[in-house]
Amino acid sequence: MRYAPAILVGRLTRFAARLRKPGGGSAVPGLIVNRIAPKYLKRTLSGFPQGLVVVSGSSGKSTTTKMLVAILRAHDVDVFTNPSTANISQGLTSALLEQADWRGRVPGDVAVLEMDEGHGALVMQGVDARVVCLTNVMVDQIDRFHDSEMVASMLARIAARAGESIVVNADDAYLERLAARVRPGVAVHRFGVTDAVFAASPRGLGYTQTSDARLSSGTDVLVQTVDGASAVLDDAGASVSIGLPARGVHYAVDAAAAYATAKAVLGERFSSSTAADALSAIPAVFGRGERTTVRGQDVEFVLVQNPSSYQLNVDSIAPGTEQILFAIGSDVRDPSYFWPTDAASLERVSIVTGSKSAEAALMLAYDGVEIDRVEPDLGSALDDFLAMPAPASGVKTIVFTADAMRRTRTHLGLAGAE
Amino acid sequence: MTLTIVSLLPRLQNTNGDAENARVLATRARWAGLDATVVEVETAEQLPQRVDAIVLGSGSDSSLDESRELLLTMHDEFRRWGTEGVPILSIGTGWELLSWGIELASGRSIEGLGILPGRAVPRANRVTGDVVVKSPRFGVLVGFENHARDYVGAEASPLGRLRAGHGNGRDSGQEGAVMGDVYGTHLHGPVLAKNPEFADRLLETMATRAGLEYMPGARAQTVDAYASAARAAQLTAAGVSIPEA
Repeated sequence: MRYAPAILVGRLTRFAARLRKPGGGSAVPGLIVNRIAPKYLKRTLSGFPQGLVVVSGSSGKSTTTKMLVAILRAHDVDVFTNPSTANISQGLTSALLEQADWRGRVPGDVAVLEMDEGHGALVMQGVDARVVCLTNVMVDQIDRFHDSEMVASMLARIAARAGESIVVNADDAYLERLAARVRPGVAVHRFGVTDAVFAASPRGLGYTQTSDARLSSGTDVLVQTVDGASAVLDDAGASVSIGLPARGVHYAVDAAAAYATAKAVLGERFSSSTAADALSAIPAVFGRGERTTVRGQDVEFVLVQNPSSYQLNVDSIAPGTEQILFAIGSDVRDPSYFWPTDAASLERVSIVTGSKSAEAALMLAYDGVEIDRVEPDLGSALDDFLAMPAPASGVKTIVFTADAMRRTRTHLGLAGAE
Repeated sequence: MTLTIVSLLPRLQNTNGDAENARVLATRARWAGLDATVVEVETAEQLPQRVDAIVLGSGSDSSLDESRELLLTMHDEFRRWGTEGVPILSIGTGWELLSWGIELASGRSIEGLGILPGRAVPRANRVTGDVVVKSPRFGVLVGFENHARDYVGAEASPLGRLRAGHGNGRDSGQEGAVMGDVYGTHLHGPVLAKNPEFADRLLETMATRAGLEYMPGARAQTVDAYASAARAAQLTAAGVSIPEA
């Protein structure tokens, strides 16, 4: 009964927000409940019968969370999870309210939460987790986090809330150092890639600092091979074939992270074939090499979130692709940290657009890329790009940052807007 | 005759893409029809015979000691380059390591190489954001800063006066330090791409020393138009109105 009044107020706020913005989610109900019942979030998160599982890190946490939830659900576990946009305090409370009964209780055996690495340390104060999975430390959103050490120290605070085990990327030197400092009684599980997979990634895996040695087959979960959108995991010596939501080594690493975490959560109940089937059934993610038809044109969308995903995705665009649109939005406040990347393989870009178009054009030009046009207005750029006759070779390719992706979706009226 | 630009310690000192300024110099030299190459140097043994310019970027605080040890193995070369007029561009912690020293918030001090006057001292909070500097040598410089220390002792020879941002801090109203052709600045990232006038002055110095002539190439005009648009956007963001030449 303790939270019934707060829940009622939260519900009414949500109702009002929905009237204003039909179909839209809102963080306002969460903000209000956090204000009038400040302990609701902590108590609810700590109250799931089979505990709380947290996924955090610089990159790959959304995909890893989705994969982990799919594996657990395939094992008939009732999972509460948050949409990836609701990974900070207000959003999290709003997400809980969506599922809560009138007393504020949220159904589910286990909660799996994607946690923003910046806000997570704060949200997790006083919350007990069973298992914490950490994906990596990358230079990302640098004007928010300033440097990798700050990210690592925030992840350490999240990891410190784990009562049973932490699951870490063994190829990330920052996470390995963090794993060496867990308190006694907390188990450390690892995932990573083999020497062969590492050797096949000439630019590395994008971590701020890569560990000196790879894991060897035996006790951990390894990415053994990656071939396009399929991969083979090595689970303590046994080979497990899986399908990925898109091509790329980083998706295979996310799958290994989810697989290892599910193993830690389920223990004896874990089945590798159930996990493999669940992973293979995950649909492709919007904006990640997804191909779709817009205004009668085949278009491939490529989302870049940080320098390493930028490099991986740019490398995966077929050489000679005739028509490329580059959209860099206001989410990249200072593009300086993208400069070590190399986009020379693109050779030519049709239009550079977005609020940071001039900065992006400058960077591409020093990579030796020819730019046909710089158009700061994203809407006009999209209209003109799609109106160009279909290319003789390749497919129209739109490379965008998260902010530019949202604006692109809205402008083109594409479904699935978050 | 190939102009050789050394990118120093890119493994540890390239947090914000500062080391890419070496590539900017080489690219502009090539656009001008000159031969140019970038050599990445992590240890003294890798130093090339001929050095026409040095770029030393910023790293994180955890690598200060390691970077300092590596730089100390090139201490004599640094003194010689400084005396001979080889342009040296140092940014962020790279600049701090070339100063008299760095005072850390913990109370510990790290002795610098003493190539540039002044020292880095802790500030209460990290500063990040747009910086606009009016420089007597290079006109208006535009860039980003992200640092947790101020810089004192360079009051007699700053890079320029601040129009926006924190710069050297301590109410100095100044940014950067200059000694001959050795430059220290908080402006991180592709400062030479964003400020072509700065880049071209360094290239002129390099060319003159090498007995060559530098005239910006045609391609530079196209690319500098992007720089100009990026500068205009950043000046607006910083709330500074300066008519661009």
